[in-house]
Amino acid sequence: MSAATVAASGPPTTDKAQTAADPKRILVGAVTMIAVGWFIGNGFLALAYYPQWFAVGMPVFDKIIQALLAMVLGIGGAVLFFYCMNVFVEGLPGRLGQFLMPYAWILPGYFTIGLLLLYPAIQTVNYSLANEDSTAYVTPIYKNFQDVFADEGFTRTIGNNLLWLLIVPATTVVIGLLVAVLADRLSPKGESISKAMMFMPMAISFVGASTIWGFIYDYQSGDTQIGLLNAIVTAVGGEAQSWLTIDRFALNSMLLMVIVVWLQVGYAMVLLSTAIKNVPEDTLEAARIDGASELKIFFLVVIPQMKGTIITVFVTVFIMVMKIFDIVYVMTNGNFKTNVIANMFFQELFVQRNAGKASAIVVILLIAVIPVLIYQVRHFKREEAER
Amino acid sequence: MTGVVLSLALTGCLQDPNPRAGGTGGGEGIAQGGSTDGDKVVTVLGAFGGDEAVGFRESLAKFEAESGIKVEYNNSTDFTTIIKARVRSGDTPDIAIFPQPGGLIELVNEDQIQAVDTYLNYDEINSTLIPGFLDAARVNGRVYGAPMRMAVKSIVWYPESYKATGKPTEFASVQEMQKVGEELSADGTTPWCVGFESGPGTGWPGTDWIEELVLRMWGPDVYDQWTSHKIPFNDERIVQSFEEMDKLLLADGTSYGGRKGILATAFGDAMNPAFESPAKCYWMRQGNFISGFFPKPVQAELDTAVGTTVFPPFEGGFPGQPILGGGDIAALFNGDDPDAIEVMKFMTSDKFGGEWAKKGGWLSPHKTFDGSNYPDETTRSIAEMAANADVFRYDGSDLMPNAVGGGTFWSGMVDFTSGAKTAQQVADDIEKSWPQ
Repeated sequence: MSAATVAASGPPTTDKAQTAADPKRILVGAVTMIAVGWFIGNGFLALAYYPQWFAVGMPVFDKIIQALLAMVLGIGGAVLFFYCMNVFVEGLPGRLGQFLMPYAWILPGYFTIGLLLLYPAIQTVNYSLANEDSTAYVTPIYKNFQDVFADEGFTRTIGNNLLWLLIVPATTVVIGLLVAVLADRLSPKGESISKAMMFMPMAISFVGASTIWGFIYDYQSGDTQIGLLNAIVTAVGGEAQSWLTIDRFALNSMLLMVIVVWLQVGYAMVLLSTAIKNVPEDTLEAARIDGASELKIFFLVVIPQMKGTIITVFVTVFIMVMKIFDIVYVMTNGNFKTNVIANMFFQELFVQRNAGKASAIVVILLIAVIPVLIYQVRHFKREEAER
Repeated sequence: MTGVVLSLALTGCLQDPNPRAGGTGGGEGIAQGGSTDGDKVVTVLGAFGGDEAVGFRESLAKFEAESGIKVEYNNSTDFTTIIKARVRSGDTPDIAIFPQPGGLIELVNEDQIQAVDTYLNYDEINSTLIPGFLDAARVNGRVYGAPMRMAVKSIVWYPESYKATGKPTEFASVQEMQKVGEELSADGTTPWCVGFESGPGTGWPGTDWIEELVLRMWGPDVYDQWTSHKIPFNDERIVQSFEEMDKLLLADGTSYGGRKGILATAFGDAMNPAFESPAKCYWMRQGNFISGFFPKPVQAELDTAVGTTVFPPFEGGFPGQPILGGGDIAALFNGDDPDAIEVMKFMTSDKFGGEWAKKGGWLSPHKTFDGSNYPDETTRSIAEMAANADVFRYDGSDLMPNAVGGGTFWSGMVDFTSGAKTAQQVADDIEKSWPQ
């Protein structure tokens, strides 16, 4: 074993490239590799099937002990497994061993990504062509997509999503930028207080935020209103409204968007604020000396220098909005013409129990996200190149 | 060499020590799931937990002591999914208590459940049960489950202050209620307290209204055809029932807050305006469970603060008094286990449930159940309403496929109530969404 480590840490030489196979190492590596794999697998099975083996009789400690054991087994086992694999690959004849070495190390990672990301994605595309319980393909093969597009609710849902995409990311960035710029002009203490205030909603979950805003939009039958919005409206002499049921000009959808903006502005502000502080002072000074107005400086000097961050924030919020679900589900469940794609998918899968149509909706969403992702990756690459 | 190690590795894997112990064949029953036969332990899976599970266990304590059979009750809020998964992996309980008949019927079709006539005295329990109860679990003429608990939906609740109006507290027909409602409205108070809001489930209380009206206007046969999709959802008669609801609840001055108010008011808060002084509305039609949602002071003296009456028949419709409701149905998975059969016999008899009834929130599906066990007069009167019913029918949205009964029917009620769609449009849309 110690010989193996020494060889592994030694620099590769041309001499080594010609080394012949080392059957002893191959054997030891292979056997220990399989033994370790077997031990880890059975270790986890034992934790699942025979928890009493790892118990001291006190439920609280039992759970902790078992969790620690699982961690040791998982991490330690993985380290040991890779070590044995290393021994095995090094035992192979020179060129082959050198050729395989990087793959041996990188393949488990690829395998995990493939298993947890690629496989489900491909399977979803596959299921989008199958029936409601994914047991047979539908005829014609594109029937689910046909059904989705024929659904009159779907066009409205797509329209709603577009509206969300048009309004929310832009509004979030603009407000975030505004707050960042204005906070930048405050005293250090004022700046940190105002930023903290703006950032606080970030800590609230979407469902929690929906509950809070549910009180703001609340409507009661009769004269007593407890909703903040109705209180304001009635105070200025208006009539109390049941806000979330008003679909004229998509008012209710807009009210839901307000919640997301409220939640996300803090995130946008923090990133943009950092970007503003990174704008070199001398460029501003140069502009001032040239007699540019503050407004011109902001739009022609500051903004171009933080364009990268603006785009990043915009794209992040954009992708998040494409997947928007929680708020719509909790507040209206898509009623009153507020449905969005993700909620439609949820209804299709868990209410209608139609996995085929649900997958088709997801595939459509996936295809719609791809251009944004490509843009995002390209943008990152350009940024890297400019550095 | 690796091959040897590999095969050793594969065969050397640990096995699940608790696989399906299973009724070993040879018994009469077709359903042979569950735990070991005749071991004096019976496993039961149900949906209810918390206080309800305590009531259930207490109701069984005496039986357990006398028979020496130990009942192990487990519950999951996700019962509907869990039971399917456990059947698929061969790990069924001896007995399962289904909150809705739909899941039970699905498993009957997979030959997992023992027909009750093979182990219960069908005629005997049928004679003590409220008529129509066993039909909910009937598949191809045979019954596969017996009710263990009842829920009654056809109840009209009114506050104490209603009596001062001098209007009747019992009604012969829906039409009479409509007429009295108009009088109340003329006197300045809307008759109905209605709330359809229920978070993502908004609209379900509305489905009950349609079901009540279909059952009353067209009778149980049409109702059964409707819930089992033998007639389409957009049948002319069903559309008429929608229109009847429109007249009853959505016309001006019929319900508190109107269309907007109905959709914005949570079903649990619907009756709160009735307890204000002066009352803003008087009647609410809702199931027996709703008393748990009343304001605390009302709950504290339920018998004096609220009155109940049965939601009356429809003039010109079905002649008898129908009751809409629901119930938990116990079904036997282990047809070979004499202990499980004993538990089933006890659980589905009118002797079961005294302890649970005393705790409240439980109604026996048997007409012959001793009413003195109920904690208050309100509960007793509700049990009586059900016992006097000419026909009992399960909540239709629970019988329909989930896509409709838990999806488009709900959202359809929202669209109908808001006025976004007409009765015909809503019924057409729901019919379109019915899974093939």
